[in-house]
Amino acid sequence: MADKKNKSAVPVYLLTGVFLLILCIAFCIAVLIKPYETAQTYLNIIFMDQSMKIAPSSGLDGLVIKENQIETTPVSDIPENEQNFYDEGEIIRPVFGEQYAVLKCDAISLSVPVYWGSSAELLERGACQSSSSVVVGEHGNSVIDAHVNTFFADLNQLKAGDDIIIYTNYGIFTYQVSEKIQFLNTDKKYVLPSVDDRLTLYTCEAQVLGTSDSRIGAVCTLVSRQFYHPAGEGNES
Amino acid sequence: MTNIRLYFPKIILTFLLIFLLTGTELSLLIQHNALTYKAFETVTVQQNLDEKAYTALESYFQSRSNSTGIPADVYLDAVTQEDMKQGILSSISKAFAYLQHDDESYAVTMDFTELEKSVTEFFNQYAEENHYQKDEIFNQKVQSSIQEAEEKILYTADTFKFGTIAEHGWLAKIRSFLDIFRKIMTGLYICTGVVLILLILCCKNKFSELFYWLGLTGIISGLLISSPCLYLLKTDYFSAFVVKDIQIYAAVTGYLNYITHLISTAFIITGLAGIVFLLLFSVMQKITNQKQTTAE
Repeated sequence: MADKKNKSAVPVYLLTGVFLLILCIAFCIAVLIKPYETAQTYLNIIFMDQSMKIAPSSGLDGLVIKENQIETTPVSDIPENEQNFYDEGEIIRPVFGEQYAVLKCDAISLSVPVYWGSSAELLERGACQSSSSVVVGEHGNSVIDAHVNTFFADLNQLKAGDDIIIYTNYGIFTYQVSEKIQFLNTDKKYVLPSVDDRLTLYTCEAQVLGTSDSRIGAVCTLVSRQFYHPAGEGNES
Repeated sequence: MTNIRLYFPKIILTFLLIFLLTGTELSLLIQHNALTYKAFETVTVQQNLDEKAYTALESYFQSRSNSTGIPADVYLDAVTQEDMKQGILSSISKAFAYLQHDDESYAVTMDFTELEKSVTEFFNQYAEENHYQKDEIFNQKVQSSIQEAEEKILYTADTFKFGTIAEHGWLAKIRSFLDIFRKIMTGLYICTGVVLILLILCCKNKFSELFYWLGLTGIISGLLISSPCLYLLKTDYFSAFVVKDIQIYAAVTGYLNYITHLISTAFIITGLAGIVFLLLFSVMQKITNQKQTTAE
């Protein structure tokens, strides 16, 4: 009889356990759901592997940095039947903080994104083009600079005749180093607008004692302009 | 469950006991295993933080040499991997000395005698070779280079970011919280004891049932905590941590994995203890039934 009584109690024991478990889980969910919702955003930020994460305290408030995928296949690697380039074409004007080009120079193994506009945050990410100079592809002087301790560390190794290629979403522009330059930071003659089509690259001169007032770089003359679309046709890319 | 009158009080007491036991166990783990110098030292060794910190330092000074013109060896010859290890351990011990009220402020220092000598020698040699007059600017440059290097080394050695935490005033807040936490722990122990006594009193007519309720407490408490911990470990959740400074990444993820592993192990043991209690209960029930059958 005792055995029978014990058997009848088994479902009660089991159900009590299940009931308690459900009750505890429900209680945990009820108590933790609100704090979790509050913390979720922060958790997603902290535990999300984003290579281009912008820290809130990095001083980027108000600056919108836009990255673009830019095709950097050399012209020589493009099949001949696809080489439909034009000497004059449509230019896509970038906005401040937008990466609009990739600058490459095989002679010094350089490949660096170029941002439109110049600021400390942009200089951390790549080379910057002064917005007072002309967009690559337009007629005049395009002035690009970067930090000597990062992207332009080997700029002083450029030699006359080295090719510099700038890839954009609207065309490929090839320049050749014509002159190595050195000037004081107060001297504006290399960064002023020019009549000829040129590219001016510069950086600080590396110096052990103190910050350098001297700038070094290169002036490059335009060799070719290869637009993807002719002028007036528009550019969908 | 002979007495239905006591059934619901037992459920309520067990429900309370589950959370009190969980809280007590977690607080004990945090106080005696997770928030200790030993835990951080273990992570330092497990994750080879000294090696990672030294590699980060090498990379920094090599990259800096492009802009400063000071060869990386000037710094790296004066700082060893062992120095970095001592720096890391020193930052941990200083943090705990502060948290435990042994020190009234958090400040880490390292022996930079060799570094100062090396940098000074380099600048003197540079000045002689370039016929540079050693004036006030020269001395300032030497001092600023030494200071910058020392700050960088201390920053790199602070893999657990105690310096940053202290700088923002959070270490002081953690210290105050730990003081309150100890009082909360005492309260938790008392509450757990009271609830346990009440449960024993409820089960005094059928003592074997106490094992049933304790078994349920252990199993549910174990499930509640070990399940999410195992999920975090299985999905390698912490590896998605965003910081890419290799030594900080290894320190933070290593520590988070260490405490998650510790907590999951402890609560799996709690769950197993609960199963043992339930088995004991069923054995005791069987023995009681047999005795009753024999008596009848």
